[in-house]
Amino acid sequence: MATFTERMAPVLVLWLAVFLSGTWAVDKGNFKTCDQSSFCKRQRALKPGESPYRALLETMELTNTRLTLQLINDNNKVRLLLELYRLQGNMTRVKINELKPLKPRYEVPDVLIREPPTEPLSLLSQDENGVVLSLGAESQRVILSARPFRLDIMEGRDVVMSLNSRGLLAFEHLRMRKDTQADPEAEKKEEADPAAQPEAAKEEEKDEDGMWEETFKSHTDSKPNGPSAVSLDFSLPGVEHVYGIPEHADTLRLKTTENGDPYRLYNLDVFQYELYNPMALYGAVPVMLAHNAQRTTGVFWLNAAETWVDISSNTAGKTVFGKMLDYVQGSNETPQTDVRWISESGIIDVFIMLGPTPKDVFSQYASLTGTQAFPPLAAVGYHQCRWNYNDQEDVAAVDAGFDEHDIPYDYIWLDIEHTDGKRYFTWDPHKFATPKEMLQGLSDKKRKMVAIVDPHIKVDSNYKIHNEIRSRSFYIKNKDGGDYEGWCWPGSAGYPDFTRADMRDWWASMFAYNQYEGSMENLDTWNDMNEPSVFNGPEVTMHKDAMHGAWEHRDVHNLYGFYVQMATAEGLIQRSGGVERPFVLTRAFFAGSQRYGAVWTGDNAAEWEHLKISIPMCLSLGLVGISFCGADVGGFFKSPNTELLVRWYQTGAYQPFFRAHAHLDTPRREPWLFGPENTALIREAVRQRYTLLPYWYLQFYHAHRTGEPIMRPLWVEYPEDPATFALEDEFLIGRDLLVHPVTEEGARGVTAYLPGKDQVWFDVHTFQKHNGAQNLYIPVTMSSIPVFQRGGSIIPRKIRVRRSSSCMMQDPYTLYVALNLQRTAEGELYIDDGHTFNYEKEFIHRRLSFANNVLSSVNLAPEAQFSTGSWIERIVILGASKPSKVLLKTDDGQESQVEFDFDASMSVLTLRKPGMNAGADWNVMLQ
Amino acid sequence: MKLLFSCSLLLFITAACLCGSAATRKLRGISSSYKRFYRERRSFLCIDGSRVIPFEQVNDDYCDCEDGSDEPGTSACPRGRFYCTNLGFRPHYIPSSRVNDGICDCCDASDEYNSHARCQNSCWNLGQRERAYVEGQMRTLDEGLQLKQQLIEEGVLLWREKQAQLRELQQVAEDLQIKLEEHRRRKQEVEQTLKALEAGDTRVRGKNSSESTFRLLDSNKDGSLSVEELQEKLVLVQEEELLLSEEEAVALMGGGRQMDLPMFQHSLWDVLNTENRVKIRGIVDAEDPHLKAADTAAEREASSLKKVEEAYDTINMEISDLRKKLTIDYGPDWEFLFLNSQCYQLNVYEYTYNLCPFNQVTQKSTAGSEVSLGRWGMWAGTPKNPYSQMVYENGEPCWQGGSRSTTVTLTCGTETALCGVKEPSKCQYIIDFQTPVACQPVLKQRGIHSEL
Repeated sequence: MATFTERMAPVLVLWLAVFLSGTWAVDKGNFKTCDQSSFCKRQRALKPGESPYRALLETMELTNTRLTLQLINDNNKVRLLLELYRLQGNMTRVKINELKPLKPRYEVPDVLIREPPTEPLSLLSQDENGVVLSLGAESQRVILSARPFRLDIMEGRDVVMSLNSRGLLAFEHLRMRKDTQADPEAEKKEEADPAAQPEAAKEEEKDEDGMWEETFKSHTDSKPNGPSAVSLDFSLPGVEHVYGIPEHADTLRLKTTENGDPYRLYNLDVFQYELYNPMALYGAVPVMLAHNAQRTTGVFWLNAAETWVDISSNTAGKTVFGKMLDYVQGSNETPQTDVRWISESGIIDVFIMLGPTPKDVFSQYASLTGTQAFPPLAAVGYHQCRWNYNDQEDVAAVDAGFDEHDIPYDYIWLDIEHTDGKRYFTWDPHKFATPKEMLQGLSDKKRKMVAIVDPHIKVDSNYKIHNEIRSRSFYIKNKDGGDYEGWCWPGSAGYPDFTRADMRDWWASMFAYNQYEGSMENLDTWNDMNEPSVFNGPEVTMHKDAMHGAWEHRDVHNLYGFYVQMATAEGLIQRSGGVERPFVLTRAFFAGSQRYGAVWTGDNAAEWEHLKISIPMCLSLGLVGISFCGADVGGFFKSPNTELLVRWYQTGAYQPFFRAHAHLDTPRREPWLFGPENTALIREAVRQRYTLLPYWYLQFYHAHRTGEPIMRPLWVEYPEDPATFALEDEFLIGRDLLVHPVTEEGARGVTAYLPGKDQVWFDVHTFQKHNGAQNLYIPVTMSSIPVFQRGGSIIPRKIRVRRSSSCMMQDPYTLYVALNLQRTAEGELYIDDGHTFNYEKEFIHRRLSFANNVLSSVNLAPEAQFSTGSWIERIVILGASKPSKVLLKTDDGQESQVEFDFDASMSVLTLRKPGMNAGADWNVMLQ
Repeated sequence: MKLLFSCSLLLFITAACLCGSAATRKLRGISSSYKRFYRERRSFLCIDGSRVIPFEQVNDDYCDCEDGSDEPGTSACPRGRFYCTNLGFRPHYIPSSRVNDGICDCCDASDEYNSHARCQNSCWNLGQRERAYVEGQMRTLDEGLQLKQQLIEEGVLLWREKQAQLRELQQVAEDLQIKLEEHRRRKQEVEQTLKALEAGDTRVRGKNSSESTFRLLDSNKDGSLSVEELQEKLVLVQEEELLLSEEEAVALMGGGRQMDLPMFQHSLWDVLNTENRVKIRGIVDAEDPHLKAADTAAEREASSLKKVEEAYDTINMEISDLRKKLTIDYGPDWEFLFLNSQCYQLNVYEYTYNLCPFNQVTQKSTAGSEVSLGRWGMWAGTPKNPYSQMVYENGEPCWQGGSRSTTVTLTCGTETALCGVKEPSKCQYIIDFQTPVACQPVLKQRGIHSEL
């Protein structure tokens, strides 16, 4: 969907001039740099090595679950309270707040799935310089140094991570404004309170510009609470690669930021975003992963205010040769990455995930914020979207087009034009006069629809939704206490306060079939513009001094989109009585958003560079738990040439969320509009997606169970191989499929790195075997999608591709068994009903393994109940030798011979129609 | 346990059914013309000749042939196709992937022989409807063709009429040309006369006129003008001639009461020549009558030349317009010619669309102003029938570059009217336009299947 300027042109002519004068790129001037954001500028001006903070060891209290300790700022005598927790699963939580804040500071609710369970901490030693605590049974310790305050997390003799090692901890305490008369009683009270004595004794701190008011362009932020920023630095010895902190249109491996702006996390509707820079985009997940060949760790900075992240490195400037020289000469300087987080308000609440493996970090983070929602199978299929399918006739024609051209799809989408004047939950009375008829038509083909529901609500006294929100006082308020109003698609709009649980409950109830007129079971939802986008607001979003009850928008900004999707998903669950799994797509997100559905990378453009960056952007999201990620296939703005469109389909078919989308002003681009050859290429790409649905669905199940990313960088599976650490033009789906899409115009070949010493990879199209740990040049044509199956894996497919995923439910499986050098292989098969929450009890989960020439299926979930009509129609064994005969033994003890075919040139053994039920125990023996 | 038992029982029954109906299974999904490939033998040769398989493997729900020919009746082959016999309606092929997918594709329900879908045989109804539709279409076509014939005849007449009109216009133009030349010649003559006269006149006028005027005004011939003489001879001309007051006369004399010739030449003479409002009474234009006549004649000739020139230009414009119109391709029989001066309207939601064939397409919103959706561009149908589509281009510019354009699709109908307007992409319009002249006698419906 679009950003603001364009759709607004008819409404706000003023914007037009700005747009037309601009080139094809983001107008950077609309968004703040660190220098233009007063707290960032203030914090960044601090010099390392001058920390005024000292730990008051005498205030230390150690209980079974936590350690608390006061810190004092020696410059102004303001005291902070440090809390340190040892969390289950090898994590440490560090919380720092003011000991006695003038008023409460915001602590982010609802993101953690529960209060993280703790483990006991024990004191190992203590002296006047600090304390040493043991982190559980392993050789892990925390050293807390008093002067200046500093934390070092050690394992054995190695420092894993240090906090405030550069002395950049900063905590702007809440204060009275100097030019206002302080309440004399309050002062008296403070004087009486010994803990508050710093107020009296403090050094005079100068007010700086922007502390009490800040103006950007024509917008003034009133800042009634004054300065409130928090900041802390982390040092990562031995680390040269850090990842995460999406969303940025940047490389997978994060760059150092010393020569420019820090990475910014502030959910914004950025019109025509620019690639390879640290500007903020639609979503924010304040989680960074650090990796080297020995260890992976993570930092989760739980703060929902505007946040900037600075990264520096002592090796960043060095060339490969320089690094080699260091190594040869035995330079004593170990590589180190330093990271500094700065947030505008709230508290410091940090979760340090100590790994040590990448998968440990995923599971640690998942234990805090939850895992990927398990989507209905249909959502894993192909989505056809456009701004806009004009009317019901148009929808019917596109639907028929897919049948005519024999291309499967599961969802067709309606953008904002389907509504009655941008009033969500309604339909245009002319163009979509009979929505149920339309939905029934799709349902008859076993297909579904997504309609958009944005959070901005048209201010219109004839609009039920608006009236209800206003009468319940559910709107966000402006600083003067009235309902906040901003401009968005409908014109003047209010913004419901989704941070309120009662508001979310009400919102969810609006999705009930009897409330949302024209909706049916096969209608799901898309939340766009939920940064929130406010066309006439500062940086195209909401004023920071708008009020969510007692809290400022400043405190909660990055949470807004998270809550919108949460409430919407809840609505879809409730409308079915808790039976059906919802599907909700969101543009804005935060840590924990993975629990509510899918995200996409927003309004990209039909350019090769945008196709390329879809890979690192989704990889970065996957690393921080958000697996269900995709980019608009074809590119949203502008019109792709045919080659780009085809390549994008080929890439998108191998990314988790697979949706084509296009801007209103672009020519139509349904897959059959580019001549029969290209139609065939696109059809083939989409068909490959559908044949792999059993594997994709299994990956979603895994992501849901473990929090591991579906689309993952190679280093996640090959953490010791430095050659994988910065790869971002290829990726893995799960463990077993390696994809190197063609993303270069006019490409004649690609070079894929196949990882793993002593491993082999099989080209999934030709079955050709390649050795691991090599760069492999693969010649390509327009039909090529380089994909490899790992030797040692078993991948189930359904090769009878039908109109939609649900038409394929009962279809038989073909198992692709790719043998490794030890002639073994393993895989899994997961089956459930594809759409309800019954999967929690009713499913089939089997381990398929091949060893000693026997392929067997073993039940991994004997307590689960599910029966399927699907059977095994074919087994393809790659890297096999020719058997003399093949026997199938079923669980009733019967043995039968299986026909087979052996292709000696490729060493491919195909077992013909063994025929056993996919849910049964069986053995296939090669003799 | 109970559940498992009933499931396996179900499987058993299904399996039994399949075995029992082996003979019919083999025939499933094959058209009568393909039956020869599937004669019961010991082996089956894939139709592409790529492979021989045992005959039992035909329609056994496993794909053996690359071309899918061994599984015409199941969904096993990715490239296979299934033949819907559709007795009572139209037979057709569907992709194998639609066999037993839970969606009724063949109206005879033959594609869903092993699925949960409860398909009714709707072929007879569809056939009825189709037959009615085809009959309707045929009637439309017949009627349309008749109308078309009329329109063709009218077109031919119109074409001739236009040609005649063109010839007429050309004749008029030729006549005008002759007239024009005549007028030009006459104008030239008159102008020469005038020039000659003027040349003479200036000579006389330059020397005499101040003196003769002085003499004229000097009623008592005393060689000096008096106030009374001026009052007697001069008038003020406004709406009418007014007598001079004494003060006015004095003012004209420059404040004095007497004026001799040299003084007159330096003052009042100039006033009389430049100030139109002061004239000599009675002898307002004391000019040479020959000169005056010549002048009038010249003016007259100039104006009539202008008229003729204008008429000539107008005619030429009409001719070029008509020629332009006549260069447009109106079809082999000029059958589209009658559309040329017509316009057709259709309201869609809040918009009114207006198609003036061979001219332009416009859109008018109830609130806003009229927007051009394109001017006549060209015929853009298929090579076989180029007259099935028109393109109108270069309409109002679009917000993101380019300009609006419209494709008009012509279909056979008994009336000439717009039937629908769509805007599938921004600024690209598609208009459905029905007219009898789009009816093609070759249009032939595929026959409805009733054999078997």
